[in-house]
Amino acid sequence: MKKIEAVIQPHKLEEVKEALKGIGIDGMTITEVRGHGRQKGHKEIYRGMEYQVDLLPKIKLELVIPAARLDETISTITKAARTGKIGDGKIFIFDVADAIRIRNDDRGPAAL
Amino acid sequence: MMLTELATRSTQVDETVRKAFAASLSSYPLSIVAVGGYGRSELFPYSDVDLLILTPGIDVPKLEREAIAAFLQSLWDSGLRLSQSVHTVEECLILHENNIELNTSLLDHRFLAGDSVLYARFSTKQPDFLKKNGPALARRIADLTRLRHSKFQGTIYHLEPDLKDAPGGLRDVHIVRWLAQLNGENEDGELQPAFALLSQLRLGLHTWSKRDNNILSFEAQDALTAESANYPSRFATPEELMREYYRQARVVFRAAIERVELAESRDTGLISQFRSWRSRLSTSEFTVSRERVLARSPQLLESDTGLVLRLFEFIGRHGLRLAADTERRLLCFEPSADIEFKWPNVESLLVLPKVSATLRSMNETHVLRKLLPEWASVECLVVRDFFHRYTVDEHTVVAIELLETLHDGRFQNLLEETGRTELLRAALILHDIGKGASHDFGEDHEVRSATIATRVLDRWEVEEPDRAVVLFLVENHLVLSGAMTKRDLADPATAHELAERVGTIENLKLLTLMTYADISAVAPASMSPWRLEQLWRAYLAVQDELTRDLEEQRIHSPGNRTPEEAAFLEGLPVRYARTHSEAQIQSHVQLARSAAETGAAIGLERIHSVWHVVAIARDRPFLFAPLAGAIASFGMNIVKAEAFSNSAGLAVDTFVFEDPHRTLELNPEEVARMRKTLLSVAGGKEDVRKLLAGRRPPAVGKKSRVEPRVLLKNDAVPSATLLEILAEDRPGLLHELASAISRAGCDIEVVLIDTEAHRALDVFYLKYGGNKLPEDLHDSLREELVLICAAAQV
Repeated sequence: MKKIEAVIQPHKLEEVKEALKGIGIDGMTITEVRGHGRQKGHKEIYRGMEYQVDLLPKIKLELVIPAARLDETISTITKAARTGKIGDGKIFIFDVADAIRIRNDDRGPAAL
Repeated sequence: MMLTELATRSTQVDETVRKAFAASLSSYPLSIVAVGGYGRSELFPYSDVDLLILTPGIDVPKLEREAIAAFLQSLWDSGLRLSQSVHTVEECLILHENNIELNTSLLDHRFLAGDSVLYARFSTKQPDFLKKNGPALARRIADLTRLRHSKFQGTIYHLEPDLKDAPGGLRDVHIVRWLAQLNGENEDGELQPAFALLSQLRLGLHTWSKRDNNILSFEAQDALTAESANYPSRFATPEELMREYYRQARVVFRAAIERVELAESRDTGLISQFRSWRSRLSTSEFTVSRERVLARSPQLLESDTGLVLRLFEFIGRHGLRLAADTERRLLCFEPSADIEFKWPNVESLLVLPKVSATLRSMNETHVLRKLLPEWASVECLVVRDFFHRYTVDEHTVVAIELLETLHDGRFQNLLEETGRTELLRAALILHDIGKGASHDFGEDHEVRSATIATRVLDRWEVEEPDRAVVLFLVENHLVLSGAMTKRDLADPATAHELAERVGTIENLKLLTLMTYADISAVAPASMSPWRLEQLWRAYLAVQDELTRDLEEQRIHSPGNRTPEEAAFLEGLPVRYARTHSEAQIQSHVQLARSAAETGAAIGLERIHSVWHVVAIARDRPFLFAPLAGAIASFGMNIVKAEAFSNSAGLAVDTFVFEDPHRTLELNPEEVARMRKTLLSVAGGKEDVRKLLAGRRPPAVGKKSRVEPRVLLKNDAVPSATLLEILAEDRPGLLHELASAISRAGCDIEVVLIDTEAHRALDVFYLKYGGNKLPEDLHDSLREELVLICAAAQV
């Protein structure tokens, strides 16, 4: 099993969710986050004063999938979340040792 | 029937306890007492069974301890959920500061088994104990009640309320009883119907969920509606059930707060001193006692609409609440048919600093729906949705309240700058009013709300352009929140589309504040820092676009116009058409006609509390600055100004100013003199410096609260230099700034001046010899402007 953490642009969330649903993945955790990578925030000028916007609003998606579906899932996310501009976000992949469904003790891929 | 059912359950448990006592404890000198809810014989199916085991002394012998353990074990085994405590009589008769719950549970006690003499020692001494410690215990109960209420944001209007602990719930019924008991009174039975309903719901809830569950969730509301056929109070729909719940909870909550306030009033602390100080607010019509308002002639509240409106104005001015008696009177209020409730009445309430207090009181006494019948459909209305926490009416009041206590500096500035909070508040009152309307009005609630709002605004006789602003806000109240999550705010197309929809910066500020309030009032933490940032980004993107629009978006070949009108409008910014009514445009066209003959024309009129000047003249350098100077020379404060020119080179300069000494109002001949002066200044025939020479210089020495900022940008708009100035406002400031700009050789293309809350926000588009201002001139101009802005800071 693999865990995917994807940080994407907020306005791309609906598209990514729809695309994942299209390949049969609808379980995920979504968090509103703020941060910056190479995009480094930017300066905004308002009322003649510059505001340093350090942390940009982003959305973080977390999902755990069977390892066999990894490539398909990643390409679905990248395709849906890409605008081609700086700030499109990143995807991180982790190995998952096990998964347990609390309700009935299902384990492994059966618990996903 | 309900209470019998609870009592029957208690009797059954009594039997079980007595049997267990007989089996394991009868040979010991102990007394078993039912306390708490069980002591009151109000035992809900899955509630704890509160038992007190009275012992004669602190040291309980080992054998006896073992026997008690066996007794409790057998009760657990029989399926009871016990909550037991072991105490001596003496322990029961001291105030437990850290365990007030023990003292309160002992307020209801009933002997079950064992040593009746021991129990009698406790029960005969308790009245003396309560007499002595009653006020202290009452204050602690009051504190805990306030704390509990605050966990529920002090409102009864939760969509999924907690029947026990929420304000207006069963715990509050007990609070009323206990505080009455500690005050040596009996609760007067007013709460009986409420208690019966709350008990029915809690009993049903326990039975349905098979555990000690007190949350009346949406699912439970459905189940209990179906179940209600078997109970005394029957409901056809969950909405009906919830409306009855809120009606009864309101009675309980009001009674609990009254009791709590009475307990607190025995306190001599600071708060109570403040409260008694507030009683000095009393007037010839109303008295204030402990933050509550009473009418001196209460019977008039049932029929005198004028008095009722003055009462609510009084409340909104000082942030007070209604006394219980006032509330009861108002429940019987019927508006007199001869008094019309129109926009001036509404407006006079909406401008009040604590209008949320007014609206809350008007809502709770049903006065609001009597004056605004459309409101009835959202009163106590539960709309099921995953995010919303409150009923529609409460959500609306909370939204308005949040704008009164706005903390974020950026949004606070916006609020001060709008200066039209009454329009924002009117829009908030109406924004969700469509949620209770039939879907024939439209699928989306904002469309339904706008349809109803149109009807309401027409009945109130709200004039344009205010009417259009309120409708715009109601209809578009979801536009920015939608853009925050679904649109790319960095994409120019998003900003452009939103700017088209919003139209003007004034509308944008109001809509941003409306979105802030609407999101924040969904649930306590719904305005997360993340959303706040997104909303601000959305505001900035559109604000930027609208500022750019002044230069780029010009009127070209306007349709349905006479050739004269078309020639006048051609080349003016689109903003001009958006911010002027048709009547104003027509009057400007006429002024342009006379300007064509004489070189310049002036319009001067008073609208509401401010004066409007429009000067139309052939555009030339040094036109705007002398006009501003001439207005200042009459001692007037300019609050808004705009300067545009059309393709034919005709300048349209508008000024809105205040007349602080009412000179024009009191001396009609001054109006004519001012018009004449402005005309000769606009025609270049009078030197404004002479006019200003006779004026006293502005008072200096007052420390400026606003640090001046001057920004010059060449890349903001395609063909001009953008100049933004933020400064502490003072009389004559605009004239000085504009003169300095003209002296530097710059042509003023577009001007947008706004003054609110002592801050002047000035936007100029400048050109220098037909082009952008050369970079090497930026520093010297900026320095001079900063000096002018800071001049009052001496």
